[in-house]
Amino acid sequence: MILLPQARGIIARRQVLDTLVRRDLHVRYAGSPIGYLWTILDPLAMALIYFVVFTYIFEARRVGYQPYVLFIVIGVLAWQWFSQCATETSRALLAESRLVRSTNLPRELWVVRIVVAKGIEFLLSLPVMFGFAIFFIAVGETKIHYRILLMPVAIVLQFLLSVGVGLILAPVTVLFTDMPRIVRIALRMGFYATPIIYGVHAAPPVLQKILLLNPMAGILEMYRAGFFPHELNVPSIISSFVITFVTLIAGTIVFKRLEAPVLKEI
Amino acid sequence: MRPVIESKDLGIEFYRSRRRKMSLREIVFKGKNLAPKDTFWALRNISFTVEQGEAVGLVGGNGSGKSTLLKMIAGVMIPDEGGVKVRGGVAPLIELTGGFLGELTARDNLYLAGGLHGLSKAQMDERYDEIVDFAGPQVRAGMDMAYRHFSSGMQVRLAFALITTLDEPIVLVDEVLAVGDRAFREKCYLRMENMLAGGKTLFMVSHSEADLRRFAKRGLYLQQGTLVGDGPVEEIIEQYNADADAAR
Repeated sequence: MILLPQARGIIARRQVLDTLVRRDLHVRYAGSPIGYLWTILDPLAMALIYFVVFTYIFEARRVGYQPYVLFIVIGVLAWQWFSQCATETSRALLAESRLVRSTNLPRELWVVRIVVAKGIEFLLSLPVMFGFAIFFIAVGETKIHYRILLMPVAIVLQFLLSVGVGLILAPVTVLFTDMPRIVRIALRMGFYATPIIYGVHAAPPVLQKILLLNPMAGILEMYRAGFFPHELNVPSIISSFVITFVTLIAGTIVFKRLEAPVLKEI
Repeated sequence: MRPVIESKDLGIEFYRSRRRKMSLREIVFKGKNLAPKDTFWALRNISFTVEQGEAVGLVGGNGSGKSTLLKMIAGVMIPDEGGVKVRGGVAPLIELTGGFLGELTARDNLYLAGGLHGLSKAQMDERYDEIVDFAGPQVRAGMDMAYRHFSSGMQVRLAFALITTLDEPIVLVDEVLAVGDRAFREKCYLRMENMLAGGKTLFMVSHSEADLRRFAKRGLYLQQGTLVGDGPVEEIIEQYNADADAAR
């Protein structure tokens, strides 16, 4: 079994992980007087832009479910966690090369630590999402469905997916200089190839099939299931489980294979 | 009793001419196979054992693979051939300030770096005074200052003080004894001697004959990646000097 020893190594060093995550959050929030606000301001601004553009200019409310604001906010917040993870994990080993060179820790830790730190920021931004949800429940535009229980599942699955992607990106970037640029372009395309500002139902049938290959599609489906009681897109969810585990295993193998050459380079 | 460091047929291969980095441009315009395959073995067929409590000095010219060997013992580099087994924790006096971040205060840095080396916050609280006392009054006065405002000597003093309180049974030293001013160096020497007297295993790389004679009992001599000598430190230093003189 390939994942177990790695997971055990990380768990054995959870104290170090805790230290690193605290440092990340400390550095992030210590430098700015409104540190926490930046975590939510950025996605809120994006959500506002999409809301204005798509409701007032394109008048395309139908592409999402109602209430559309809540629909976008969930999508943008979750996507932000994923895209920040991909960007930062791709630099994980290079950015901390001095630490990686001088401490004998399981090297996967440098990836997991970023996903955890960004995940905590994501959790801290959830109150905003619930704020919107409560507002729309109060005005009677939506109600809470028992499927909200899928949300924690979505968080765990997105965590595993981000770790898997990070385990591939981090070592590859060290050996392949152009990786961060590719990641940047891929993420920009990924934003539109993921049902963030539109729902899968609004896509043409061909595209719906392609979206099955996007693990974030199923994950977003689970985040939204508690507030948008449409029919659940089960194939998409199953597909994201499968792709997530394949990515995680592939990531572990890639990381293990590239570890020795990477340590020589940094 | 089993040896604490056991190296068997250890070998590591590096790329010679340039870093093995590939850039997209090169792949697109020149084809992928242009990346040079020119490699050399920085170390090969290295086998030796170190018993508990031994003090070993590693000798050799520049580029003979001393630091690489130390890094593999520390576990921060992975051999391509064979392996090195280390029984017990390692206090690596290599890249001392590696765990420190310029923008945080010295105090935060100390706790952070301690955490990276496996000390809990409670353990750090316990050792805090001892570490800062050892680093000296100048350092103590600046503990709430950003670490990057420390002079490089003070930075290394704090890091040295931390790593040497780690209490690991194996101590790896890479030339770091040459840091700090005269007074601090003497303090470092005393601490190293205390550690040795306490039964710790020492594995050091040094170009200083005085340091080697003072701390090491046994010498290992590396020449271009091969182990060419293993014996009492005095003999090894003579062998090394003879080779160096002959090459001149």
